[in-house]
Amino acid sequence: MSVPAVEFAHVSKAFSGRVVLQDVDLRIPAGRTTVIIGPSGAGKSVFLKLLVGLLQPDEGRILVEGEDLTRLDEEGLYRLRRRIGMLFQDGALFDSMTVGENVAFPLRRHTRMREPEIDAAVASVLASVGLPGTQERMPSELSGGMRKRVGLARAIVLDPDIVLFDEPSSGLDPVTSDAIDQLIVEMRERLGKTFIVISHDIVGTFRIADHIAMLHGGRIVARGTPEEIRHSPDPVVRAFLRRNIPLPPLPGEREESP
Amino acid sequence: MTAAAGIPARFLATVGGYAGFTWDCAAATLRHGLRTDATLREAYVIGVRSLPVLVTMAVFVGTNLSIQGHAAFRTLGAHSLVGMFVALAGVREVCPLLAGTMVAAKTGTEICAQLAVMRTKEQIDALEVMAVNPYAELIAPRLLGIVLVMPALTVLTLAAAIASATAVAVWQLDVNPGEFRDYVFDNIRLADVGIAVLKGVLFGAVIATVSGFFGLTSERGPEGVGRATNRAIVAICVVCVMLNYLVTAVAYR
Repeated sequence: MSVPAVEFAHVSKAFSGRVVLQDVDLRIPAGRTTVIIGPSGAGKSVFLKLLVGLLQPDEGRILVEGEDLTRLDEEGLYRLRRRIGMLFQDGALFDSMTVGENVAFPLRRHTRMREPEIDAAVASVLASVGLPGTQERMPSELSGGMRKRVGLARAIVLDPDIVLFDEPSSGLDPVTSDAIDQLIVEMRERLGKTFIVISHDIVGTFRIADHIAMLHGGRIVARGTPEEIRHSPDPVVRAFLRRNIPLPPLPGEREESP
Repeated sequence: MTAAAGIPARFLATVGGYAGFTWDCAAATLRHGLRTDATLREAYVIGVRSLPVLVTMAVFVGTNLSIQGHAAFRTLGAHSLVGMFVALAGVREVCPLLAGTMVAAKTGTEICAQLAVMRTKEQIDALEVMAVNPYAELIAPRLLGIVLVMPALTVLTLAAAIASATAVAVWQLDVNPGEFRDYVFDNIRLADVGIAVLKGVLFGAVIATVSGFFGLTSERGPEGVGRATNRAIVAICVVCVMLNYLVTAVAYR
């Protein structure tokens, strides 16, 4: 059996006594697109921050390509992160840099490439996300969808093994959202890397996912292929897919209710 | 009662957090190395941006030192001593503090707000995920940039204040220019300028680290940015005034 790209083994995380993730056990296959869905407050963002080592779990292990990141020192963590690219919700582009400088940033920090090589790599990756010739523009001149494309270009410019997407369609109109979903599908086919997407967008999820896991109340309540999730008998999953918010409480939550 | 009791705890937590921040910053810079290009760029930008407002302030502080010194010593019939007053008050105390507070107001607030906005927009997280240490990338070049440029800014502040004080004393208050010059330079030793520069350097280090600390630990959102900037400038001013007293107390015992 092949090593999963990412494995959460009994991971729990709480803030000031409030449990955000509870005994999360999840294996994410390599070379596929896995979407973690769930309503706001389900623990999706914490899941992503744990995955890149921005947070440490209270319990459990997080394995990235077989390497336990909870045991790594700063040098090991930085070495591991060089194999991960991440598209942040609003792109997280550096405002003081041009588009070209933003995309070139990881190359300048982590490679010994010369400036002409960097320029060529930046031009190529920007063209691949549908923004050729935008190197001299500033982030403030870009639309939300364009910022996400530039963010994706920066995330993949070092050719990472794993690409993470934090709510790629949030804040976008439906047409732009569709275009970003299409871009994710195209890039996954072209790059053949592991894509992990955090989303609450149900329509987009079924468009891009090979696998889906649903987080609710800090737990994984369902996992499977898009077809399996679509036909899940689980009342929480069915309510989420029908957009019935708030979702029904989990069994444990019901018992704790007064 | 509860809120009041929480104030010392919050203060201690902030002081502890600041100490940890400066330690992390030093350790990260040693591990990841200093970006000399960014440091020199910061020094240039801080110097060029601060200089006009600093010289303007210094000029008008110098004018008032002359007027106040003249008014005080005239009643004793010793108005020519105004040069000594300008030298002692201006060079030893007022000008270094002026340089520190003006760089704090101009550069410290800018650093804090920039970092707080970067934090709000997840740009600090983006640096971390790109395996770039934020302390080495953002704090160290600004800290060394300010420390590099503060000696020059302090000396220029002294020069601008003395020049304007001389102009007012000679042309407005009819003090003999030779007497004024002698009283000024007889009362400024090289050590006084050195101590003023030392104060400037210490103030610069405080400005960079305090504004960096409040910026990187700000709460997210516009309110968090505003609150962090406000706290940073207040803390810098208080710490600089206390530091000014300590250096003066040790140097002029």
